[in-house]
Parts: sequence; structure tokens; C-alpha cells
Amino acid sequence: MRYEVDVNGRVLRVDVHRADRHFVVNVDGHEWTIDAARVDPHTLSLLIGSSSHEVTLAADKTPGQLAVGIKSVPLSVSVNGRRKWGRRDDGAGGGGPQPLVAPMPGKVVRVLVKVGTSVYPRQPLVVVEAMKMENELRAKRSGIVTELLVQEGQSVDAGALLLVVSPE
Amino acid sequence: MNKILIANRGEIAVRIIRACREMGIATVAVYSECDRPALHVRLADEASPIGPNAPRESYLRIDNILRAARDTGADAVHPGYGFLAENEAFARAVRDEGLVFIGPTPEAIALMGSKTAARQAARRAGVPLVPGTETPLGAEVADAEIERIADGVGYPLLVKAVSGGGGKGMRTVTEPAELTAAVRRARSEASAAFGDPSVYLERRIVRPRHIEIQLLGDHHGTVLPFVERECSIQRRHQKVVEESPSAAVTPAIREAMMSAAAAVARAVGYTNAGTVEFLLDENGQFYFLEMNTRLQVEHPITEMVTGIDLVRWQIRIARGERLDLDAERLATPRGHAIECRIYAEDPDNAFLPSPGRIVHLRVPAGPGIRDDSGATAGLEVPIFYDPLVSKLIAWAEDRPAAIARMQRALGEYVVAGIRTTIPFFSWLLAQPDFLAGKVHTAYLDDVLASRNGRSFVEAEVATENVAAIAAALRAVLAPDATNRTDGDGQPARVDLRWKGQARVEGLR
Repeated sequence: MRYEVDVNGRVLRVDVHRADRHFVVNVDGHEWTIDAARVDPHTLSLLIGSSSHEVTLAADKTPGQLAVGIKSVPLSVSVNGRRKWGRRDDGAGGGGPQPLVAPMPGKVVRVLVKVGTSVYPRQPLVVVEAMKMENELRAKRSGIVTELLVQEGQSVDAGALLLVVSPE
Repeated sequence: MNKILIANRGEIAVRIIRACREMGIATVAVYSECDRPALHVRLADEASPIGPNAPRESYLRIDNILRAARDTGADAVHPGYGFLAENEAFARAVRDEGLVFIGPTPEAIALMGSKTAARQAARRAGVPLVPGTETPLGAEVADAEIERIADGVGYPLLVKAVSGGGGKGMRTVTEPAELTAAVRRARSEASAAFGDPSVYLERRIVRPRHIEIQLLGDHHGTVLPFVERECSIQRRHQKVVEESPSAAVTPAIREAMMSAAAAVARAVGYTNAGTVEFLLDENGQFYFLEMNTRLQVEHPITEMVTGIDLVRWQIRIARGERLDLDAERLATPRGHAIECRIYAEDPDNAFLPSPGRIVHLRVPAGPGIRDDSGATAGLEVPIFYDPLVSKLIAWAEDRPAAIARMQRALGEYVVAGIRTTIPFFSWLLAQPDFLAGKVHTAYLDDVLASRNGRSFVEAEVATENVAAIAAALRAVLAPDATNRTDGDGQPARVDLRWKGQARVEGLR
């Protein structure tokens, strides 16, 4: 998966691949093998090679911004231009993968795509039933379904990742 | 004394509750509406509401606090610092109610609360004073008369509010032409803040240090002074870092200062904990500044280098016990202690307050580290009160080791959800002048002005890369966390999504 990450105003291109229990991460052409452990909802422990980094992440006051702390260094971070998200959520623009998540707890009643399906903006992808209502979850932008993590009949929590659409 | 009501909030209320608990004394917390979930309420044996959020409707309401004491059957009141701690009327009201006020008498508070009366007391005790006026210059004193008096004091001089404190109602005047305007501004500020336009004039000592002497006095005539505290690191006249001992104080100066402080206290029959503040000039000459008739914010550094629990002794003295401490021990610092006042302020944004919810907190620990705090994860730092989050204190065998230990602890400190001054302290403790101990009361304001608001800790490229990697991995582990605008400003919901996702994926 590819992300555009803005760190203190510097934009970095970050590619992430899973490899066994590790991640292979490429940052602007430099590649590292990383062991990531999620300690609690705000803390990641990263072993980049053998060097240990503890990172604290929390939503910042500015919507879409993350306040990141490493040792006592504070950094301001946003992923995939989320700062301007409101304006980009119209199907246009945006280069990174789009994760589709369940906006509420419910039951997946229909999966309308498969891995490899090409999708167009606003195409219905998954239908989730919650509070006796069927909710169509749609694609934001065009792309290809690269990951599908749920099947029909499955119950999901709010925030559960359902599938990922990557740019073509 | 069986039950003490603590008329305060935040870290100092917690500090006092801890001392009471160790002494087997029951505690009563008081709280405003927003402080209902505060740590001091949770740690106390009992808690009583005293009104809405605004201090003047709660923590400054003498009647509400006394009612809480009556309702809970408290037999003593500890005022902490700030709020009503140096309010003569409060100390008197507590006494009139038949309760013990854990602090000096209302008479001593009144005397030392008037800066001019305090100066007179110091003069009587034979303690050197900065040249200045001996009587308050009330609103009725004519400009021409003030100019005449100013010529006698000498320039540069300071115009200070008689009832002032914390730099409010204070002005520097370098030449006679500026005097009248400065007096007017100081008067109007003092009227607004303290309801008293009276001012006095004082010669301005160039590049002074602020050195203070802690002391204890019992009800049997014993006054014992402690080794000094160095409090010269100030931002806009507010202390931000304190140390004990001072790098500038020789054993001879220490001895002279300690006796001067004790003499002032004896001259006014002072009891309980108090602090005499001095200015120390570049030639080693010191001058009486004022006396604080309360427990100081920075009292822990004295506790660290002497091993004396000052709050415990405040309570023992109030119970009528004798001060049977070894004077030599109090005068001889063991090692070195530093305190950093960690505020909910954004140092990279002109130190603007950064209130909000602390979503995650990890406090440093290990050898020589003490964290006096009222903060816990989940608590909101309210906008109504002083934004002090914690006092981080490092003790080690000497000053370089204490600085290194403080740096280590600052690096371990994690506060998420609000901005704090932790990065600023990391920067400050690495400054050559600070490391060399070459500081004075204007040092910090000067060096901050020369930085033009540059960030204190500039992230290196490698650190930025780690941040980018972490943010991307967070997006992988919890894609929804970055998929939302978070426009509802509810970080807790982001956490929920992340948690949910981790469950779904079976991640660790």
C-alpha cells in the first residue's frame, strides 16, 4: 500500500508491504524491514532493523492531523492529504489506497465486488445492515479492489476494515 | 488533628493528600464542577463540591470552603499555594471557625503581603534592601512628587504594585522621561488585578539572580532556614525551572542569606512554612525582595536535597509540635535537584495555552525522578485554572548528573492529546549558558526573544522518516483512523476504530 505522508510540511512517499510478520517499508527510495508492535491505542513500537523507536500518535486539534511524538520531539503528520479531505472526498484526486471501513457496527449482507474488480467513483461495494437499515458503502475514487477482508453474513465492528481499493 | 480539608486543586492538592495519608490523617478534597473527575477528588477520603468552574465562584469562595469543612467535620485547612493561600481574610475566617489554618497567622500574612511593610520588617532585621521607597505611593501622590522620589532611588528603576505579584503591575523605567507613563500603566494594571492602585519604586539591579530561602518556624520560637533555591530561569517573571543548590552561591553567601532570611522571619514572629526571596547581584551582594507566606510551588527540590518533607512539617508545626530538626542538615545540600514546571502550553506557538483531554500519559520513573502531578489519562486540562500539568523533579549527586537525569526523564515523558512545554525544556537544558550555570532573571526572555519563535526541537530527517513510517503503519493497522476527517474532534472514537480493527485483523 502506498501513502503520501506529510511530516512537518515535508511530503514523503511511503510504500508498505507485509512480509510474514514484518513490514517492508520504502520511504522515498530507501527500504527497511520493520517489526511493528501496537502497544496501546496511541503507542507503536517500531524496530527498524535493530533500532528501537517508540512512537506516540494521537488525533490533533486540526482535523485529519496527527500529533506524533518521538522521544520529546513533537511532529505534525497527515496521511494522504487528509488535512484537505473534505474537499477531496468528491471522487476526484487522491493517489493513495482507499480503505473501506464499516461506519457502524452491523452485518455484511452483500459483497458486490471481488479482489481484482475495477471500480468507478461512487460504485456500491458492500452493503452493511445496521439498525434495520441497509447501508450501501461506495467507492470514493476509481481503482482496483486489492484486499477483501469480509464475507456475506459476517458481523463487523464500527471501524472494521472491509476492503481496500488501490489506484490502478 | 484528624481530618484536613485541602482548599486547592491539581498537583498541590494531590501532594498534600499524600502527606496526610502517610500521617494517618483523613482528607477532604473540594472541587469545582469541571474538577469532579480530578485526581485530588479521587485520592481524597471525602470530597465536597464548592461551586462552578470560575475560581471566584469556587476555589476563592471562603464561605463555600468553610461550609465544606463544617459538613465533613474537618478540623484543619491546608490552603496549598495560589487561590486563598495568602489571603489574610481566609486565614482569619478559618481561625474564627475554630479550625486550624496550616500556614502562618493572618497577621503575618497581612504584614508580609504588603510589600512596603515587608521591606520595613526586613530593614528592622538588618537585612539589605534594594534602594527604593518605604511607603506606598497611593493614587493621590502627584506625578511631580513621584519624579522627585525616583531621582532619590536612581535609574534604572522598577515601578511595582504594592499588592502585586507574578509580574503584574510591574514596569521597568530606564530614564526619567518614561516614569509618569509607566506609573500610570502600573497603577491601572494593579487596580484591575488587585483592586489597589498603590505602587512603589525600586532600583533595578542589572542581571540579578533570583535566590530564595525556604524556612520553617514553630510556635515555640524556633525558626530554621534551609539551603537556597535558584529560581532565575523565568519567563515573563514566572519561574519555569528551579534548582537547589545555586551554582552562584558560595558557602559564605549561603550562610549570610540563611541568617538574613531567619532574621526577617523572627522579626515578625513567623510560623509555619515561608520563603524569603532575594536578588543576588553579580558581585555576590544580595537584597531582600519579598517574603512568600505559603508553601512554594518549587518546594520539592528543597525536599530532595535535604530529605525533609515540608508538608509533613507544616502539619506537625500546626499541631503545635517542636521543630527538632538538625539545622546543619538543612544547610547542607545533599546532591543537586532540578524542577521543570511542565505546562499545557504550546512552546512552538508562543506558549499559548493548550487545554484539552489527555488521551495518553506515561510518566517517567527510575532513580532520582519525582513527578508531582494531578494529571491522569482521560482528564481534561481545564481552561479555568493555571495550566500546570506536572512538576518533574530530578535529583542526582551533582548538577551535571541531575541535568542528564532530567533530560533522560523528559525523553521518557509521553503526553498525548495536548501540547506541553516538554520539548522546550529539552532545548533549554542543552543551552551552553544554562549548562554553565550563567543565568539571571532576564536570561530566558532574552534568549527566547532572539529565537523569533523558531521551534525548540527541530526534528531531524531520520526522525521525520520514523514519524512517516509510523503514520503509514498506523494507517495499515487501522485504515479508518486516517480515513476520517476526525472533524468531530473525538480522538476517543479514533481509538475505538483502531482497536476494532486490531481485533478484526488479529494483530498484536
